[in-house]
Parts: sequence; C-alpha cells; structure tokens
Amino acid sequence: MKKLIAGAMLMGASTLAFAQPGCGVGSMVWKGQSGIAPHVLAATTNGTSGNQTFGMTTGTLGCETSQSVQSMAIYMDSNVDKVARDMSRGAGENLDTLAVLLGVDEADRDSFRKVLQDNFATIFPSSETTSGEAVDAIVALLESDQSLSKYVAA
Amino acid sequence: MRTSLQFLLTLVWLALTSNSLAKSLPDTDDLHQHPAWLTLIHYQPDRLGSGYTSQADDDRFFLSDSGVTSPKAELDATLKAILQPGDGDDHARCIFPARDRWLRQKLDLPRDPADCPAYEEWAAELNTDTVTLVFAASYLNSPSSMFGHTFLRLDPPRNDEETSLVLANTISYAADAAAHDSEIMFAYKGIFGGYPGITSIQPYYEKIRLYSDIEHRDLWEYQLNLTQPEVDMMLAHTWEIQDRNFDYYFFDENCAYRLLALIDIARPGTDLLGEVSTHAIPSDTVRWVVDKGLVEDVFYRPSAATSISHSIDSLPDDHQTLASAIASGYVAPDAAEVQALSDEKQARVLDTTYDYIRYQSEADGWPREYAAPLSHALLRERSQIKGVAAQQGPPEPEIRDDQGHDTFRVSLSGGQLGDLNFSELTIRPAYHDVLDPPAGYRGGAQLQFLRLDARFYTDENEFQIEQLTGVEIRSLSPRNQFFSPTSWQVGFGGRRTDTETDRVFTPYLEGGAGGSWQLANGTQAFAIATADLEIDDDLRRGYDAAPGADLGILHQNNRFSLLGGVKTKAWIVSSQHRQDQAYLDANLHFGRDFGLFARFTREDHFERYRSKWQLGLHAYF
Repeated sequence: MKKLIAGAMLMGASTLAFAQPGCGVGSMVWKGQSGIAPHVLAATTNGTSGNQTFGMTTGTLGCETSQSVQSMAIYMDSNVDKVARDMSRGAGENLDTLAVLLGVDEADRDSFRKVLQDNFATIFPSSETTSGEAVDAIVALLESDQSLSKYVAA
Repeated sequence: MRTSLQFLLTLVWLALTSNSLAKSLPDTDDLHQHPAWLTLIHYQPDRLGSGYTSQADDDRFFLSDSGVTSPKAELDATLKAILQPGDGDDHARCIFPARDRWLRQKLDLPRDPADCPAYEEWAAELNTDTVTLVFAASYLNSPSSMFGHTFLRLDPPRNDEETSLVLANTISYAADAAAHDSEIMFAYKGIFGGYPGITSIQPYYEKIRLYSDIEHRDLWEYQLNLTQPEVDMMLAHTWEIQDRNFDYYFFDENCAYRLLALIDIARPGTDLLGEVSTHAIPSDTVRWVVDKGLVEDVFYRPSAATSISHSIDSLPDDHQTLASAIASGYVAPDAAEVQALSDEKQARVLDTTYDYIRYQSEADGWPREYAAPLSHALLRERSQIKGVAAQQGPPEPEIRDDQGHDTFRVSLSGGQLGDLNFSELTIRPAYHDVLDPPAGYRGGAQLQFLRLDARFYTDENEFQIEQLTGVEIRSLSPRNQFFSPTSWQVGFGGRRTDTETDRVFTPYLEGGAGGSWQLANGTQAFAIATADLEIDDDLRRGYDAAPGADLGILHQNNRFSLLGGVKTKAWIVSSQHRQDQAYLDANLHFGRDFGLFARFTREDHFERYRSKWQLGLHAYF
C-alpha cells in the first residue's frame, strides 16, 4: 500500500511540466505571484495547471534516499507554503499527507507533528529556504528522533 | 525435420483456431446498435441521415478504416482483433480493455484474463476503490466561472490511516490550448472548434492548487456509488481514451460532457449524455448525476478565498484591525500588542493574517520581497504557540450549487410603455441574474446567454423583438478593509433604442466598471461608470456612443430580490442629449421553480418623460 501511494505520487509528478534536476527537487518557498490573470473564459477552458512558473533550485537530496522521502520531496515541491502553514500550527491536512507519504504510524503521528512544529525555525530558517532544503532538514530532524528515525531510513 | 514438423503443427493449429474463430465470430446480430457499444466508441447519431459518427478525432482510436462512421465495421474489426491469439501491451485486448470486456460479456466468449503489463501497472497505481465527481464552483468576482468545471477523482480505499485524498489521482478532459493564442482566438476556437481535447490524469493536490488556491473556487466532491466492476470498466475505458484526441467545444463537447460519457460507460443504461441538448453546463451535469441516483455522499472543500473571508469575519473588530495592520506592515508579528493576547486569540490573528497575505500574493500579486519575509515571521511566531488547533473552516453552505434554481428561464408578463399596452415573452437558456433566487449562486453575480425578449403590442397588434442579449455578464463584489475588487459588467446584443421619432432595433455593446460596498447582509450599494455603443443606419452618423453612470442598491435573499437605482447616459456622437432613468426591479421567489416579478422605470429622454411598468411570472426549468 505504502509503495502504491509512493508510486502514484511519482507518476503524478511525471505529468508535471518541469524536468526534475537529478533526484533532488526543490522550488522557491513563498513564491509571491502566480501570473494567472482573470479572463472571461477562464471557467470552462481549464486549459492547464502546469503553467505556473516554478522557481526551481536543485535540492541536495541524493539518489540513495528512500522512495518515501522522494515522494515527500515531490509533494513539498508543489505545496511547500501549505505544508509550512500546517507545520507552524502543528496540524492540518498537508502535514497529515507528509505523514502518509513517510508511512508514519497513527501512534507516532502526534510526536511527528510536535517535532515539526517545535523545530519550525530549523526547517525554515528564512523566507529564502527552498523546499529541497526543508526536506533535508526534516529528514535530519526525524533521523535524530528515536521513535521517528525508522521512517526516513534509506 | 523437427523444424518442418513444428511448422506443420503450427499451420494445423492456425487452421483450427481460425476455423473456431470463424464459428464464434458471427452472430453479432445488431450488437453494433447496442447503446453501450455506441457509447464506448462515442458515436452520436448524425444530424442529417440515419448514420452515426464518432466524436473521437484520432485514428488511433479506431481499428477499422471506416470505424469513424460505421459502428458495425468497428465492432467486427474489434472482435477480430481481440480474438487474435496472444497478448502483451500491443495486443488489442490490452489497448482496448473496455471493449474487450464488454464484447466478451455480451457474446459469452471465454473471459480468460489477458496479460497486459502496462495497463495492469497503470491500474494498480491508480488503486481505485471509489470514484468521486468533483465540481469546481464559481467564484464571486468571476461570473464567467459560473459554468463551473468538473473532473473525476479516483479514490483509494479509505479504510486505513495511509490514505490521503489529496494524493488521489484525477481524470479530466480539457482543451489543449496553445499558450500563445490570444483571448479572442481562444474564445473563437473554443466555440467553433479547433482545440484538441485531451483526457489527462493528475494528482488531486495539483487540482486543489489550481482551483482552490489560484482561482478561489470552492470544490464540491460528489462520491459516486459505482460498484467495483463499474469502477474497473470506467478505468478500462479511460485507458482507451487517455491521450486520444476529441476536439473540445466550450458549450457542448466540454470537460463535463466527456466525463458523463465515462459514467455512462461505467454504468450502462444511465444515459447521462441523453440529457445534453445544446450545451452541457457543468453545474447542470452535476444535477443530472444527482437526479440519476449516482451520488453516495457529498463533501465540501472551501477555497482559500472562502476560508480567509470566514476567518476574517470570525475575528472581533479590533482584532480585524490588528490583522490588517500586521498585513500592511504597521505592526510587527511579534509586537507587544500581539503578544499581550491570549494564546488562542494570538493564534487566530496570526493564522488569519498569514492566510490573508498568501491570498493577496496569489490574487493581487503582492510583491514577494514584501510578502515572503512577513509570511515567514508570522509562521515563526505561530509555531511558538503550542496546542492551539487551527480554527474550524467555514461551514458547508446550506444550499449546494446543484440545488439552486434551474438555469433555463421562461417569463411571461404584461405591461405598459407610455400609453402602449404590451405582453412580453422572455426566453433565457442560461444562466442566472441578480434578481433570480440567490441560493446556490454567488451573490451579486450575473451571467445571461442568448436571452430573447419578444413583445406583442396589444393595441396595435404589432409584434416586436425588444431585446436579444448575446452575452451579459455582471459582477458586483463588495469592497472592504481587506479586499478591494472591481465591480464590472459587459454585454452585447441587439435592442430597441429611441431615436426620438421611432424605436429601432440596433446592435449594441456595453460595459462598465466601478465599486460596490456592503450595507448589510445581502445588501450592497454600487457605483458603476458605464459606456454604451449603438450601431444603426437609423442613427444620424450610423452609430452613437454614451459615457454614463449607474448608481444603485441590490438586495438579495431567499424570499425576494430588489434592485433599484438611477442611470444616466450622455449620447455624444449622433445626437447630443442625455438619457436619465430611475429604475426599480423586484422579484418574489416561490421556491426555486417560480417567481413573480415587477419592473418600473421612469425615463427622461429627448426632453420628455416616459414610464414603463411590467408585471409577470418567471418559471425555471
């Protein structure tokens, strides 16, 4: 099941309109603008959603990282501001999705949420933090946590 | 010797199998006329003649050269192809798994599974337990989005903690518009054809980003009650049409239409496509799906815009001011006056301010250099507050979009223009005006298409087209401390215009922009600067133009709607004169099917006063 979700994630990512630099992925956090202008026929056309311009930076993840961590990285890439928001509040759908992608058991979810909220400033030290850097920080934090390290083992 | 024996055996086997094929092949009778087959190949009866033509615009979708127009040839070719020995990704059974499944079932053929690695891997990755129809509702200041948009979500089994619906995949059908096409080209090709339509699969979180965060549209999730075999059939057909071209048309063969076909295929006999006449408005298609008993459960996912409005409204006034001050940079997120608040109140203010800044960055393009550091500071402060959950999201609206009034309206009325009596028939195929029952629609938004007002003047026995509205869009959205949308309107068509001596039918184009302010719940006052253009050879210079203004008040509730105000236009080209008007419109709603309406205008035009009143009945279908 875990593998299936990760597989679906990767498949989903392959439909996105950007090439992934190596195994590492990351986009600028807090991207200011979307460039979607309101236009008269916006409704029924629903042309594409791949037209947001992502500011890509190469993350630092290596190819040896586990599939679940890579899935998390891909998810973070598209949703980093929402993940950061949920993280600062210590709860939310996007934080739960990270837990699902990493396969965190129900019993460990509370400590997972707490570790991420407590270390918000470590994960996102500035507004220039990229999603790739945030993923690295999350992995490092979880690795150093006794009960959570098993979820990021390569 | 051994080789030739093998060769001989092969020949014998081939002869035997083709012989047995020949036996099982016939007797398809008129199976090619079966509604399910016609749906599978997307055949529609020809408008002229008795034949059929498939809506697929892609050679790869057909096995027979004449398949586009011949259901029988395509059925025979398909049958022959799927009965070929062997399997593998290139075998017809693997390319057309839905046709294969249906034919084997109908003709009672052996149902031994084919080995299709690519298809099986794809289906396993989609891991679909149930299917949800997702409707992206319209947004307040975007009446053109009123049509809505629909797509399907493939939900994984929900019985374990490892399910996250935002990771589920979605199927949508969309125009593959070239990025460099201009707006006008876009509209033209959309209406008359020319854009390829592609069925594609994307994760739900990408859709949420697009509709919920960028376009500010609420999402309604209608979980369908399809059984596992029905879900499998839908996926099998999705595989057949994925990346195949079906030309896209805004009005009928649009996003919603292709999804209806998928549901029809999943559950034969549903015949949702039979409901489509000239246009398939996504919100109407949702009604059909609900009416046919296909919906198990409904969920609501408010957009970023809806959530932020709710959070702001939930803050007390002084905290609203504080949030606004933080967002504007007058007060720092860690200022003493913020920290003086209780944990819970502080969390509410920080959360609301953050969401508001994100919203403005997305909607209004706040510069990143300003928004990013401020957003980050807000989150850092918020992460210090432990154990305070985020506020509950906005409540689900009592009336869903698909539960609003029907969009086709017919009205009958009688009235008087000056001293002339008339009766009037109005037919409006779509969609909603601000005086219609507001439940299920965005307040202050109006979108009308192809509306015809025909009058019969009883004293003179004279029939006249009063107005033919091509398109009319109007959006009144209130401005406040946090949001400053522009209210606007645009329309074109033909209408009667007064030339002092006569009332002539003339093409017109009108538009306007201004502001609106909320006076009370459901009541807003608006001020719009307008512009009108009329073109007709009865006008002295062949055309006339008028800058003008429209000031009024709109009230909407579930029992009645009121619109009143004053308009002035200064005609400046052919004849220099003012046209001043006071107007009052009232609709009394009887449920969502009928309404009683009254209209009164008093006009000063060409130095004379004239009144018009009208009283009638609306019926919605």
